[in-house]
Amino acid sequence: MATEARNLSGVVGFFSGPGAILKAMEKVKATGFEKFDAFTPFPVHGMDDAMGIKRSVLPYITLVGAITGLTIGFSLEYWTSAVDWPLNVGGKPFNSWPAFVPVMFELTILLAGLSTVFGMFALNRLPNLKDAAFDPGITRDRFAIWIGVPCDLQQAESLLNSLGATDVRKVYQEGWF
Amino acid sequence: MSAVIKNPGKFQMSSSITLVTGLMAVVGLGAFLVQLSTDPHRAWSSFVLNHFYFLTLGLGGIVFAAIQWLTNAMWSAPIRRILEAFSGYLPFVVLTMLVLFYGLHHVYTWTDVAMVSKDPILSGKSGYLSPGFFLARNLGAILIWIYFARKMIGNSVAQDANGDFQYTERNRFLSPIFIIVFALTFTMASFDQMMSLDPYWFSTIFGIYMFAGMLYSTLAALCLGTLYLKGKGYLDGLVNDNHIHDIGKFMFAFTVFWAYIAFSQFMLIWYANLPEETGYYLRRFNSGWLGLSIFLLVGKFLVPFVFLLPRGAKRSEARLKKVAIFMLIAQWIDVLWIVQPEFFQEGPRVGIFEILIAMGFLGVFIFLTLKFLSKHNVVAIGDPRLEEAVSHHHQ
Repeated sequence: MATEARNLSGVVGFFSGPGAILKAMEKVKATGFEKFDAFTPFPVHGMDDAMGIKRSVLPYITLVGAITGLTIGFSLEYWTSAVDWPLNVGGKPFNSWPAFVPVMFELTILLAGLSTVFGMFALNRLPNLKDAAFDPGITRDRFAIWIGVPCDLQQAESLLNSLGATDVRKVYQEGWF
Repeated sequence: MSAVIKNPGKFQMSSSITLVTGLMAVVGLGAFLVQLSTDPHRAWSSFVLNHFYFLTLGLGGIVFAAIQWLTNAMWSAPIRRILEAFSGYLPFVVLTMLVLFYGLHHVYTWTDVAMVSKDPILSGKSGYLSPGFFLARNLGAILIWIYFARKMIGNSVAQDANGDFQYTERNRFLSPIFIIVFALTFTMASFDQMMSLDPYWFSTIFGIYMFAGMLYSTLAALCLGTLYLKGKGYLDGLVNDNHIHDIGKFMFAFTVFWAYIAFSQFMLIWYANLPEETGYYLRRFNSGWLGLSIFLLVGKFLVPFVFLLPRGAKRSEARLKKVAIFMLIAQWIDVLWIVQPEFFQEGPRVGIFEILIAMGFLGVFIFLTLKFLSKHNVVAIGDPRLEEAVSHHHQ
């Protein structure tokens, strides 16, 4: 307990299921805590709205990746077949765009896909080796709301209790293992 | 889950709808008959264009509905009846097919026996491209589609009364059979009715090309039908923004799919550069048809692609409506681009008669679709997935 002040992460309370945690989350958000999060074993529909999470910027990262791929695809093919090493293929023009389309398409998809995956990792601040799960049950069958410091711990605990949470307790940052 | 779902009942067919669509049909028929006596060549080109365009709309509804049963879809339960309603048009296709057969020698050059007998290529195809066989197999295909549509929609409508899951099971059994039969018969219908307009040309992907255009326009029509009924209040508490969003996503998907197939057909012919195959595209590039060829790339693909890309557009009824109308017109122009160059090599002929004849078919299509909805519930109220579907939402 000596390290309480330094390592205290916040308060958690556990709920019985997706319906209960959704209702509780709306109240937690309405109370105006600065930091809070939900931990559920599967995606709970409506949680984004309950938490007031805005739309992700991820689609725009995908769009930039897609346009970059399209441009790289065309530039690569134009440069190799019309500028650097022009080859006469079947008497067609060096800059034969219909032949370029499949590669442009593939590179569009590739860079759009990769930028989506890595953009998602970056936005979720993954990989994260620092924070350990505070309860193994949250990946199995438990639904938890976490209210983070700085906050009024008394208020947070009593709110979670009043919302019907079980097993309300403080959690500490433990680091990796 | 949600509270009790209220049955919106049947569509109230107003006399003004009957009057307007009836007037459209009569004016269309009149325009066709007038042009038949002044310029039969042009009248028949319009007829075959609209015959096939509206055939794909009527058939597309039952095809997309069959895909919903086949995939056990939940989201589409409140709007599936609108798709089923499109097939109300299918019996009329029997009539247009018979009329087309009557004008066969105006439409298809392979009906000219003297010309075919002198031409070794067409003589070789004459066993397949003969009027009797043409009518038998194409009429047979339409009757098969009507049979499956009747069966599956019959189950769907019967389910309205008691919500028995057995009806869903029966359609889950019928729909894969229908999809396979449809794939074969629709490829044949596209080859026979569209591709054989140029009896020398062939493209093995042509059936899929027409299928892509079919769902492109069917989804746009589904979108308009849903927005129309929603605006009239029939879908209150049944269809929300997420269903509209899903229709928008399908419209986007089939815009991309059509472009993919259209380019696949073009690129292989362009690459191989074989004289047997290139004529089709040369006719459409080196003439007054170039403008419409560019329209297909820019207008039919890029415009809906860019407009439907943002999430907001797919959730906005006003924007979706505009794109849907545009897509229906773009698909009509695509069929025009397939049909008319075989009649008029110099360039497109779109005048008042073309528009009036298309309006005539549209009047019949709208009337028969709404007639179907006035006989049956607007929503498949007995569908076991309906309750889950009305609270459908995305994460």
